[in-house]
Amino acid sequence: MVRQGSWGLTSSLMLAYLLTLVPLPHWLDPLRPYWVALVMVYWHLEVNRLNHLGQAFVMGLILDVLTGSLLGQHALGLVIINFLVSRFRSRIRFFPAWQQAIAVGALLFNDRIVQLWIIGLLDRGWPSWSWWLPPLIGIAVWPWLFLLLDAARHRQRQLS
Amino acid sequence: MDLRSVASGTARLIFYTLLAIVLMALDFRGRYVDQLQQLAGQLAEPLVLVIDWPFDRLQQASAFFGERTAMVERVEQLEQALLEARAGIQVVDDLAQENTRLRTLLNLREQIQAPTLVAELAAIDLDPFAHRIVVKRGQRHGVRIGMPVMDATGVVGQVEYVHMNTARVILLSDPDHALPVQVLPGGERTIAYGTGTLNQLRLNDLPMNSAVEQEQLVVTSGLGGQFPAGLVVGRVLDIERVPGQPFATASVQALSAMGRNRQVLILQQAPATPNDVDSDASTSDQDTASDEGINPRVEPRASSEQPLQQARATDADLEGAR
Repeated sequence: MVRQGSWGLTSSLMLAYLLTLVPLPHWLDPLRPYWVALVMVYWHLEVNRLNHLGQAFVMGLILDVLTGSLLGQHALGLVIINFLVSRFRSRIRFFPAWQQAIAVGALLFNDRIVQLWIIGLLDRGWPSWSWWLPPLIGIAVWPWLFLLLDAARHRQRQLS
Repeated sequence: MDLRSVASGTARLIFYTLLAIVLMALDFRGRYVDQLQQLAGQLAEPLVLVIDWPFDRLQQASAFFGERTAMVERVEQLEQALLEARAGIQVVDDLAQENTRLRTLLNLREQIQAPTLVAELAAIDLDPFAHRIVVKRGQRHGVRIGMPVMDATGVVGQVEYVHMNTARVILLSDPDHALPVQVLPGGERTIAYGTGTLNQLRLNDLPMNSAVEQEQLVVTSGLGGQFPAGLVVGRVLDIERVPGQPFATASVQALSAMGRNRQVLILQQAPATPNDVDSDASTSDQDTASDEGINPRVEPRASSEQPLQQARATDADLEGAR
């Protein structure tokens, strides 16, 4: 397979980082989906890019530095997501959209549990119920993100 | 997928998981990766400024196109507030002069007013569990690691990492942060720890017979030399004396907005040198220090170390003295 230019991949990742940091009103903040994970899962599932655990690790470290969380916290989360995706890729890929969204949601829920474990070890206080909202938003966002990135990818392919 | 690739995948998973856990442990416990954090933060700085830029412009634009009448009203309000503040300051000035005279009479070191720097918060959202904020003042503006950060109502935290144009501030509420404080009017000294909940601090090692009561004011004690004495920290919410426990604990409501306002004040004081604190502590604070069991001579040894660990060392000394 001929590798497409990394332009789309890099820009979508940059956008994911920006969306993670962009300030939101106070009540919207807990609803922010895990953008970096969503974008990573898309590229992994559909194009089999970003499929290496090391890549997930580095992406997580960048996220840790940007958000000021403990170094390695998001890295661990993304590595686990990446591992699970590569394990179940051949199955999830051919699911219908709604089923795929739920599978992605399950990955994100699992990640929330991992993060909760880390926060619990750090003694940072128990998060409120809104802790569990981002995976739900992630499920809702996934099909649209999927369509958007797919469209962008096909357009790019036609252009080149 | 054959067996071997599954096995190698699992091995890689274990490798990266362990790597992440080791990194987290180093970052949390030992701060061994400070250099790495500093470097990475420096590299990430442009992105922070890029995100902040449109919001900054937007605010300027809205100020530019803001309604004239609203602006005039606001200016009037601010002028009135300024007038009131000035009147208050005159009284304080008088007291300060009197204080200086008294201190010279008693042969004490004069307290120097540190210059301050107003810093705007960068418009980015950090991990809410990180208890950090990013301000748009950095090395270029004279910000250094360890400088106290406050707002109009109280202490916010201290500078943790400094980059070229931005700095990262650790909030008082971070569980990793400890601050030497004094409870007024009794003047009892102790350490205020972060709890992980915004606006909540904890006094963990008060003696059982402590005179601390609800609604009493908590201010910085100036021990440790990192923060000047007398900055407002918070109010005691309640005090708990559990029978059988060696210490009474109190929870404190922090009075500052903890960086939820747009601007903070950085106090540009040089962290005190060991001798400095020693002479001050041994003269002025001898009476209270000795009956509290804090040995002022042990204290400054810690302040020459890492700013964030210094408070922890103080705590160890404090417990050792008991």
